[in-house]
Amino acid sequence: MIIKDLIFSRWIYPLLKKEKVTGFFAFMLMGSCLFAQSGIPELMPVTQTYVLQNVQIVVRPGQIISGGTVIIQDGLIQAAGKDIAIPAHARKIKADSMFVYAGFIEGLSQSGIPRPESAAGATGARTPGGQGQQRPRVSDPWNPTYEESGITPYVRVRDVFKSDDKSIEEMRKLGFTAAQVYPIGRMLPGQASLVSLGTGKNADELLLKENTGLIASFSPASGAFPSTIIGVMSRLRELYKNAARLQEYQKNYSANPLSVNRPVADKCLEAFFPVLDGKVPLIFQSPDMKSVYRVQALKNELKFAVHYADVKEGYYVGDLLKAEGKPIIISLDLPKAAEEKKPVADSSKSIVIKDVEMDALKARTAEELKRLEGQAAKLAALGLPFSFSTVGVKATDIKETIRRMIKAGLTEDQALAALTTTPAAQLGVSNRFGTVEKGRTANLVVSDKSYFDEKSSVRFVFIDGKIFEYEGKPVPKAGGNANAAGKGAEAPKVAGKWSYTIKAPGMNSEGLLTFKGSGSDLTGEWTSSQVPGTNPISNVSVDGNKLSFTSNISMGSRQVSLDFNLIIDGNSLSGTVGVGTFGTFDVSGAKIDGQ
Amino acid sequence: MFKILNILNLLFLVSFAQAQVTKGSLLIKNGTILTVTKGNMENSDLLVENGKITKMGKGLVAPAGAQTIDATGKFIMPGIIDAHSHIGIDVVNEASRPSTADVWVGDALDPLDLSVYRALAGGVTASHAMHGSANAVGGECETIKHRYGTLNPEEMRMEGAPRTIKFALGENPMRVHGEGNRIVPATRMGVEQVFRKGFEEAKAYMASWETYEKEKVKNPAAVKPVYNKRHETMAEILKGNIIIHCHSYRSDEILMLLNVCKDYQIKRLVFQHTNEGFKVAPELAAYGAMASVFADWWAYKFEVYYSTAYNAAILTKNGVVTSINSDSEEYIRHLYHEAAKTQRYGSLSDEEALALITINPAKQLGIDQRVGSLEVGKDADIAIFDGHPLSIYAVPQYTIVDGVVRFNRSKDAADQRLQASATRAETGFFLHKEQHNHDRCLEGAFENTATFFGLERE
Repeated sequence: MIIKDLIFSRWIYPLLKKEKVTGFFAFMLMGSCLFAQSGIPELMPVTQTYVLQNVQIVVRPGQIISGGTVIIQDGLIQAAGKDIAIPAHARKIKADSMFVYAGFIEGLSQSGIPRPESAAGATGARTPGGQGQQRPRVSDPWNPTYEESGITPYVRVRDVFKSDDKSIEEMRKLGFTAAQVYPIGRMLPGQASLVSLGTGKNADELLLKENTGLIASFSPASGAFPSTIIGVMSRLRELYKNAARLQEYQKNYSANPLSVNRPVADKCLEAFFPVLDGKVPLIFQSPDMKSVYRVQALKNELKFAVHYADVKEGYYVGDLLKAEGKPIIISLDLPKAAEEKKPVADSSKSIVIKDVEMDALKARTAEELKRLEGQAAKLAALGLPFSFSTVGVKATDIKETIRRMIKAGLTEDQALAALTTTPAAQLGVSNRFGTVEKGRTANLVVSDKSYFDEKSSVRFVFIDGKIFEYEGKPVPKAGGNANAAGKGAEAPKVAGKWSYTIKAPGMNSEGLLTFKGSGSDLTGEWTSSQVPGTNPISNVSVDGNKLSFTSNISMGSRQVSLDFNLIIDGNSLSGTVGVGTFGTFDVSGAKIDGQ
Repeated sequence: MFKILNILNLLFLVSFAQAQVTKGSLLIKNGTILTVTKGNMENSDLLVENGKITKMGKGLVAPAGAQTIDATGKFIMPGIIDAHSHIGIDVVNEASRPSTADVWVGDALDPLDLSVYRALAGGVTASHAMHGSANAVGGECETIKHRYGTLNPEEMRMEGAPRTIKFALGENPMRVHGEGNRIVPATRMGVEQVFRKGFEEAKAYMASWETYEKEKVKNPAAVKPVYNKRHETMAEILKGNIIIHCHSYRSDEILMLLNVCKDYQIKRLVFQHTNEGFKVAPELAAYGAMASVFADWWAYKFEVYYSTAYNAAILTKNGVVTSINSDSEEYIRHLYHEAAKTQRYGSLSDEEALALITINPAKQLGIDQRVGSLEVGKDADIAIFDGHPLSIYAVPQYTIVDGVVRFNRSKDAADQRLQASATRAETGFFLHKEQHNHDRCLEGAFENTATFFGLERE
């Protein structure tokens, strides 16, 4: 899964593998302005024209051109179809008979938005909002500041977006090429913007469309008014009415400054002006059915344009949403079935007591999960278009979640629409994104099978005509061990004790990793300065020098899964750990006790 | 299980088919009708058409298609009304400042709350979903009808019911704000000042709008005052458009609030809990203030030690419009028992005792023209018992709201939830409690009970 720039892959990468040459190259190129600070060369490719031949072009949901050709040039789709002349300078991409889709768009996302430090207790076992926690003190409970109240609609994505955040790469390799992202916050966290998930030095380079909507949620402030949803709703009405007042006041003042006192500027109220003018919607996070009803009531009262976002219980409110006819962004945060705890076999007890009540409760729970899984299919059946929100969702779960929705009745075309044409339409960028057509921005996903096939792999992603290449899934050799396949390299010795450090903003977590056994029988456990006790490790997998494993820890009442992806180099290890939905953090470590 | 889901699907369809409140027609045959306001009618029928009581008498005939309930040997009474509860809402306290007159629990109605169904199983058809008592001025409350089965929060509102607001005296606002944040009110004197300050601000607010309205006639560019929902709500109280329901225990502070209301010419006032109401019953009656009390619940904190089970009877005999409330998801299921206690402690008549849980709470909520007694023209909110409701042996059989049977004991399924968790197989009994116990009127009481009975909280 290494991403390689064209030149890098063709020339430098093979050379770097031979250690002696590395020094030479590094010397030669040191100080060159062509190198980015990180030391990875950022060179222009020899050509920016690419051709995909004999591919299945999924122009838009339901429209496929078999054996077609796509030409990408200067960041745009130059041609897509059959019988197309190939420019001599085009680089031919090995994508024979693969599937080409328009680049996916996250309907709502926090990709590229780093978690604030306080929430990065990532690996810590602190109880969020737990009992006994001191209420934060507010400067003046009667008049909390906008920030204490969680009212920050003035915050723009370009002010907080980090173009080098790991989440961007995680989404990109799934096929996402653009995302509507928004700043982290509470009831009014800020303005959403459409950003590219390509590479760029800063937010501005990736900004595709600014202020696509004002995000609103029922998330209350901590310790200050509004500390409940009824406070949030009351405050929203007040802000909205006072924004209208200020707008009128400013108009009157600019028309005739002599007749009235100067209106005082207010960055929060002014952020509502585009909403009052009907230019942008309130993108209202309404995960459960009650929220949907509440948003509808507020909308009816205040008359703002609304997008229903992060909807999870649309199954129950399909008719309402249909009558509303507003844009819908459904959540990919779909709970998994509770793991059945198998009772420990006790041979001394021969009588098995059937718990009828518990069985009925379990059946009801399963039924409820089916409804959540079936939301997408139900809305689609009602003829409602929707896009997907990835807020609070682990990147590695996304494809499986979409597959579960398909299993529950969503068609692949409907799923594709939710990933491409619908978000493009919702964001008002259908003329640039969402389909594979001549003249559109060259945002493409190339998958070796149908994307929705369980065994498919994304092999190429194009963003603004720039190529990102990915390896396919390793194919196990007949009768051989996939793990041992490697590239002739000697399998690293994993067994033993390792010390490690996880670097999370504001806090580091240190501890020990212990592995026993070898090959597919590797087992292990780990300790951490932030988590009490010893935690078991599962799903250990070694592929060449890559070591991956997972572990589940409890954070308060929540179960958080840690996904480690490490590279072992002799006695040192480095890589990343994904911590639930908190983010992905760097890991480094060294062997302290070999076996 | 299959059956339950079918019922749910049916309800689901019904709730969407009609944007308006679902209303029914039915005939209740041959029961003893306890009208509460106009005596009893034996072996009589009661006809409901489109959610209203249209006829009461003998030998009535059901219109085509209407359901008939045989009430032979059964007692038919007005649906019980609880003037103080916290069910059917997702939020109880916005405890962030001493006055939150700007919030409204009607914004957070919870049609999924199983407590509403349990209340129906106790014959309760309407309740006053109140803000909690953390703040001197809590927030606006909502009078709800127990239309369990709808998913639409809007359908729970008792359409047309007057606005009400929660006030609170004594230890709760003092503890939350005075002790918690070191601000006024740290004492009972401070609580009074929160009210007075709020009303003064409201008067100034009203004046600023009046000035603006006048100015606007001459000058179209006149500057509007800044909109302030808190001041606006307090102003609506001054205008007589909102009924105050005040959490209170001690007689001295009950008199204090009477004086505040006198100063601001506020007429519509109901005291809640009112444990020392018996000491000031003549004063309450003279002012026209009403009282909603517990039958025999006290001593869960210091300011509630001086109490008596004769409270409701003393208040009633002094001419105070009195009700008995639950303030509890559990007590709400047997308010008819609570009312019956006034016959043991105070020898109230059947009619007086039943009035405590029907027409009197209706008066306190300003909805007595619509509910609270069985009369032609009133809403068909009805409870049917298999014995006299003041008998310890009586069990509710049917509970009807707007002519729709919302509880039928013979069809009571094991799982009546409208929505369940998709991840945890659980009944959800404690989940609601957990959420609502924070800073509510009886803070701590539940923990004591749980400890006493050895109940483990999740």
